[in-house]
Amino acid sequence: MQRRTLMKAVVTAVALTALQATTAVAENPVLKIGFVGVTSGPAAAWGISNQRSMETRAAWINETGGYTIGGTTYDIEIVSFDDQKDPKRAIAGMEKMAQEGIHYVVGPNVDDGAAAVRPVAESNGIMYFPYAFPKSLYQAPASNAVLGMVANYQSGPAIYKYLMENEGVKTVAFIAANESDPLSQRDGGVAAAKALGLEVVSANVTYQVDTTDFTPVLTPIMRTQPDLLVLSGVSPANAPQLIRSARELGFQGMISTETAQDAGVLAEGAGDLANGFISVGGASTPELASPMMNEFVERYTKMFGEYNDESNTKVYALEYILETLKANPAALTDVAAFQKTMDTFEAPNPYMNGDAKLRYVGMSSFGQKRQVAVPLVVNVYRDGAFETLFVAEVD
Amino acid sequence: MEQILANGVYLGSQYAMIALGLTLIFALMNVLNFAHGQMYVIGGFVTYTFYGQWGVPFVLALVMSCVTLAILGALIEKFLFAPVIKGSAREESTMLLAAGIAFFLDALILLVFGEKQRGVPKIVDGVFNYDFRLIMPYDRILICALAILSIVAFIGLMQYTKTGRALRALAQDRTAAQLMGVNVDRYSMIGFALGAMLAGLVGGLLVTITGVNLGMGGPTSIKAFMMVMIGGAGVISGAIWGGIILGFMEAIGLAVLSQYGDITYLLIFISLMIFLAIRPQGLMGKPWG
Amino acid sequence: MFGFSAKQLIGVAIFLFAIFVGVPLIIGVTGRWDFYFTLTSVALLAIASAGVWLTFYIGRINIGQGAFALIGAYVSAILVVKAGWSFWLSLPAAGVFAALVAVLIGLPILRLRGVYFAMITLVLTQVVTLTALALPITNGAKGISSIPLPSGVSLFGIPLIPDFGAMENTKLAFYYTACILMIVTYAALYRLVNSRLGHLCRSMQQNEELASSIGVNIAHIRIVIFAISSFFGGIGGAMFGSIAQSVYPSSFQVADSVNFMLNCFLGGLGYVFGPMLGTLVLYFGWDLLFELGKYQMLVYSIILIAVIRFLPNGLLSLRFGKGGDK
Repeated sequence: MQRRTLMKAVVTAVALTALQATTAVAENPVLKIGFVGVTSGPAAAWGISNQRSMETRAAWINETGGYTIGGTTYDIEIVSFDDQKDPKRAIAGMEKMAQEGIHYVVGPNVDDGAAAVRPVAESNGIMYFPYAFPKSLYQAPASNAVLGMVANYQSGPAIYKYLMENEGVKTVAFIAANESDPLSQRDGGVAAAKALGLEVVSANVTYQVDTTDFTPVLTPIMRTQPDLLVLSGVSPANAPQLIRSARELGFQGMISTETAQDAGVLAEGAGDLANGFISVGGASTPELASPMMNEFVERYTKMFGEYNDESNTKVYALEYILETLKANPAALTDVAAFQKTMDTFEAPNPYMNGDAKLRYVGMSSFGQKRQVAVPLVVNVYRDGAFETLFVAEVD
Repeated sequence: MEQILANGVYLGSQYAMIALGLTLIFALMNVLNFAHGQMYVIGGFVTYTFYGQWGVPFVLALVMSCVTLAILGALIEKFLFAPVIKGSAREESTMLLAAGIAFFLDALILLVFGEKQRGVPKIVDGVFNYDFRLIMPYDRILICALAILSIVAFIGLMQYTKTGRALRALAQDRTAAQLMGVNVDRYSMIGFALGAMLAGLVGGLLVTITGVNLGMGGPTSIKAFMMVMIGGAGVISGAIWGGIILGFMEAIGLAVLSQYGDITYLLIFISLMIFLAIRPQGLMGKPWG
Repeated sequence: MFGFSAKQLIGVAIFLFAIFVGVPLIIGVTGRWDFYFTLTSVALLAIASAGVWLTFYIGRINIGQGAFALIGAYVSAILVVKAGWSFWLSLPAAGVFAALVAVLIGLPILRLRGVYFAMITLVLTQVVTLTALALPITNGAKGISSIPLPSGVSLFGIPLIPDFGAMENTKLAFYYTACILMIVTYAALYRLVNSRLGHLCRSMQQNEELASSIGVNIAHIRIVIFAISSFFGGIGGAMFGSIAQSVYPSSFQVADSVNFMLNCFLGGLGYVFGPMLGTLVLYFGWDLLFELGKYQMLVYSIILIAVIRFLPNGLLSLRFGKGGDK
């Protein structure tokens, strides 16, 4: 008896959810933009900051009357799919996006997922904006991926060069988690450092992703006494612990990374020990942030209770998609038109003070314009907040 | 060398504590608790909320972690594990239940505590530095001491109290214990609560050093499994030895093998497999678990 | 035919009809083209789960199938990309290689039982992932990407398998391939379970010492079963690599190994078709709950807990447990 009632309830619940259509009660037609990324499990922080940035911006647009493309005003709806950081799920997510008639998707967050969805995206006419760095994703014959941020092989050299010139850094050590993304980023960083003439004193120390105590991991590196310690592809959760362990072991040199970090997490996890830590950020430091960026942070905080500084780099992808569609309304359903527009597209960057532009770049790295031009803002952490160290451009 | 040993002692003591709770639950009910790591994470978040957010004294926050997890453990045992164990033909089926609970707690943690890494202010400042040969921050020394103290207290509880004796009897032979008048249902629940409480306690202790985030759960469970296997499943002393051995293996392995870089952990895992293949019941386990 | 009852034959016929005609028909009518990939995944994961189920059959909890799936995926990818093999040749090669690895590893570890065997297989998954990260032939952390689609096969000029690369839409082709593989797998599994070997396995599951004392060569059987199980894992993994056209060290990891095991539990360890149903419910269920957004995981896990709470012997016990019509 009990079993039967239960099974019935379960079956009904499943059936109802399956049938439930996403009917938005809006007057404007709806433009759906997808997100495929990891929003549960260990790496949830990456995808969630991403998804929330998009939802904040969409809600903001809808509240102010919608987004006009080619004479029609649309409400923006974000369709999110949790791939659990599993490339198999990521493919299913991209199929789901195709099913929903979506042509523009942000994500996936990691290398393997971004590579796995390529066949689906290309056969279904979907442009996607991964946060993964492998060049093969963006070089021809690959056509539909657009790198959504600054890659480590672009930001790394800029940071190393700055530190060589301004801080007299001569030796560098690398440490990375033992999985695909960080290891690839480390290899890129080592090559860049060597090209700049830095002496790489340690490059093969790795840690398991699940490490909670970094003292034994860092002990061998500390003996090499580098001027600069690079945390390659470090996740925001591990960064404060690595910094804390290194400082407690008496490390005096500089520490940097090429990924985006959150000031609040650093403050809680490492406190004053994180002072001087260099990372890559968006445009949210006070002197760079435009009024629109400030309003974005305000709205994000209101919607989700707490801002995440990682979102500074993740606010751009949706803006690029919408602006490019506005520049060429034919691209709404035609990805080829979008790709053509990408070559010439240019619009003012609303999130940054000054005359920064939104445009597509990547000729020198990929041989085709398959990257969004995000200002390369290098931050330094000081007493609970980020300060701008320097700003550079990617071509 | 001194540094490696100190790292080993520190890692070993915290690992042993994590393994203790898991092995206790396994010994009592033959349940491989996949949700152990998630319980550890909840313990960390409770201490974070009380101590880091609301400014409650650290010791009190720790107690809150213990209480929360003990209640959670008792409820899970009474309403989920006990009926499933009774109803299933093969007792391994509880692994599915444990995994389901792990998924559930992960989802709950994400909704309640968010996705960010959390940390609390240091409980003690300063670093012990002996001529740069042995460096140990004071808070680590304190946590290590507290962990060892808790382990001793736990052993005392198991050896010298009525509850402890009943639990040991239950672990040795369920049927015999029942015949001797031990209330099996009640003590299973107490044992499970105690195991969960240990997870909460170590989570609360370690949040001061490593912080806490929702991703730590699964990997912590797996690490705890390894320690339990090294020492021998379902044996209290085995869990302690397993924790200490894995702690030293990591500390020494990372120091000695660091020049091999990427394969350090590969070698650690392979040696673990060879060890288990040679000694299938772990160091001091009952044969065939 | 092979001693099947009329009822069983009808059941099989209905099942075959449903997956080869019914599903494409329903998808065509509803327009849910995305279900093809989900169902393809289910079929492939069910193949790997069948292997895990088989190791359960000799009383071993196997949390290492992810390792063999990853091995299979890499073997196929390397053969296709670096050696220029046809995918259709690399597929059995992947299975055979996984089986060989299983024999080598199985010799020492199959002496273990219970949780010890479970744990060592769990560690095995980690070892294979880390090996893939470290070896040059697997391309280390960069993985192998841009694997070409399966090419056509023809015998004496008669095309047997069409060229996937030339197809407008490979979804249906992959779906049919996966289903055929799954059916062959489960037919083999069914045949095995009802053979002399199957009876010996059952006696081992009950009591290995006893089985050994009546002259069963248990060491030999264990190795054979473990090798077959890993063969299934390798096949499933290789096929997945071909669909994703890329393989990474993280393509199959500990979470996958655990899921393969959960599929078997959920479907029911006592039923040959349990892992198939378990995979369908676990994998497809997640997709169906997609609309729930951030509560997806919560609802999914609650349903999972509820099912195991009330059906501790698996979903299939619902049908067979009470009526006893079989």
